Amino acid sequence: MATVRQGVKLRSGSRRESENAVEVEDLVKVFPSRRRGTVVAVGGVSFSVRAGEVFGFLGPNGAGKTTTLEIIEGMRDPTSGRAQVFGLDSRRDRVKLKERIGVQLQAGAYFDYLTLEEILDLLGSFYRERVPPAELLEKVGLVEKRKALVRELSGGQAQRFSIVAALVNDPDVVFLDEPTTGLDPQARRNLWELITSINRDEGKTVILTTHYMEEAEHLCDRVAIIDRGTIRALDTPTDLIHQLPVAYRIMFSTDGHIEPAELQTLPGVAEVDACINGRFAYGLRVARAMETLPAFLTWAEQRDVRVENLRVLPATLEEVFLSLTGRSLRE
Amino acid sequence: MWKLVVVSLRLLYRNKEALLWALAFPMSFAVVFGLFDLNKPPEANVGVVTPASSPVAAQLLAGLREIEGFTVSEQPDLPRAQAELGDGTVDLVVAGPPAGQPEATGVVRVRYDGSDPEINRFALPAVERVVDGMNLSLAGVEAPPLLLEQEEVVGKTVTYYDFLLPGLVAMGVMHFSIVGTGVGVARYREQRVLRRLLVTPLQPVRFLTAYVIASLVLAAVQAALILGTGVLLFGAQVYGHVAWILLLSVVGNLVFLNLGFVVAGRAPSSTAAQGVGSCVSIPMMILSGVFFSTDTLPPLVRSGVEYLPLTPLIDALRKVAIDGLSITDTGRQLTLIGAWIVISFLLASLTFRFADGK
Repeated sequence: MATVRQGVKLRSGSRRESENAVEVEDLVKVFPSRRRGTVVAVGGVSFSVRAGEVFGFLGPNGAGKTTTLEIIEGMRDPTSGRAQVFGLDSRRDRVKLKERIGVQLQAGAYFDYLTLEEILDLLGSFYRERVPPAELLEKVGLVEKRKALVRELSGGQAQRFSIVAALVNDPDVVFLDEPTTGLDPQARRNLWELITSINRDEGKTVILTTHYMEEAEHLCDRVAIIDRGTIRALDTPTDLIHQLPVAYRIMFSTDGHIEPAELQTLPGVAEVDACINGRFAYGLRVARAMETLPAFLTWAEQRDVRVENLRVLPATLEEVFLSLTGRSLRE
Repeated sequence: MWKLVVVSLRLLYRNKEALLWALAFPMSFAVVFGLFDLNKPPEANVGVVTPASSPVAAQLLAGLREIEGFTVSEQPDLPRAQAELGDGTVDLVVAGPPAGQPEATGVVRVRYDGSDPEINRFALPAVERVVDGMNLSLAGVEAPPLLLEQEEVVGKTVTYYDFLLPGLVAMGVMHFSIVGTGVGVARYREQRVLRRLLVTPLQPVRFLTAYVIASLVLAAVQAALILGTGVLLFGAQVYGHVAWILLLSVVGNLVFLNLGFVVAGRAPSSTAAQGVGSCVSIPMMILSGVFFSTDTLPPLVRSGVEYLPLTPLIDALRKVAIDGLSITDTGRQLTLIGAWIVISFLLASLTFRFADGK
């Protein structure tokens, strides 16, 4: 018998907070491939996600993020290794596990001839506990669209709907696969707010995958950088960046050409980017901004170099990825 | 489960395009064939050449004029009559004995176009009858010893349309089940709808069962509509109980639904599913005897098509609709259908997949 939840229940079990929401041990997934014999999609991944945190997988397409998630969600069987959600094994306790989680699939589709309301109602009927469709639609401002078909929604609306469709059973853990891919910046920000509120106001654990480093930096408490089926680093975004030898960029524009070699002599400068965007703009990659900046300004004054648009930017996860793998996230 | 069935039905009838096609396809056959008045008696244009005005010639002309369906025209001479035969104005040329030939052993020449069997099947015997009658009277037999009395016993008249309609019911139901299911489910897989369902605790088998039940309901509706069109609009005669026809359609449909799942499972895309499905269903329509009896097939082929999944269904439907039997008399057909249900189910469970790569 399905019971309908009235209102939203705040999750605060002290037992839960110390528990790990997800535990993954030595997960391996190998696919047979006609061309290459076998493809190792996931090659020995181990990590755990704490209850109540927002955990992100950052990596380019094909890194194995989606496959890893699918195994944890019970949609796919691993070749070896183990995944557990709140102690429920993803293979043995599959049905019980599915009751406790919500999943938003990448480009997940819904029945084209059912209204939003009907879809939420249908999905809810598969679970023992469910949230009324009206409440879910209200959370994402789609109440007026409740009789609309999914194809009548804009990109941002459709993504919001698919996230809220993952919440029909008021799950403890929510999996989001590339939640903002293909959205314009405004829609992306709206979605970030939604995700943050799901985590903070409702205490749900959120596990997401993305290839946008701003998203990982903005949303996640911890980020696992994944590439070619293995986790290269796992930490908070700040700590990941601080581990970089080069953590800042000092950028400026000027009115004439400067020899990069000359800038290289300044203290702490690891690398010089010259003529960025075809104008007289330069970037100095440095380990510690406060070490280099004063020396740079002194040098500029002495050499009578005009400095405009001076900016000091911290490195991003993009650079972390680059330093770990030698490749860009965007490849 | 009930909710799933209702939702499946809703999905089916909201897809107006697919629905239109499900119903319009067989119903258009019912209408088109109904429009052809296939019971009209045959007709022939007969050109008669009577060179000399003789009593024999006159008798010949009169006798031919009496035949129903004959439009008789007098031709001046044989060459011109044959010219008319050649260009099709005239279907048959009958030439009485030429002038000068003794009446006792006259020769009536009949020229006909061998390429139109319908006309020849009707016209030639009619001419023969006229000549036989003339022979009797020329031989002086005024009252022939034997008289042929034909009396039609009031019983069933079965027209070609009556024969066709049960076949159309089976065809309509089968075609939509194979192609409609094939395309529809393949589309769901393409749109990753099925994959979205895998994420929930719902067991995939329950979803498929609900889909099957909804499709069976649709099949009953289809059968009723096709039957209704034929009977109400074109006066087809159905001698057996309509309930048996609907029941048989639903049972037989199980086979085609399974085949539809096989198509959906194997076809790489929903567009391909359309082609593959049609390749299966259209030859079967013809070989299983929807349009004409399979008696004219070579014996080896004929015994083969007996076992096609559509054949026993059509045979059973015809037994009910035309022979007026009840469903208990269709035992042999039901056994064959039952065997096919098992085979098609096995095929479907082996080939069907919910999502690519699971």
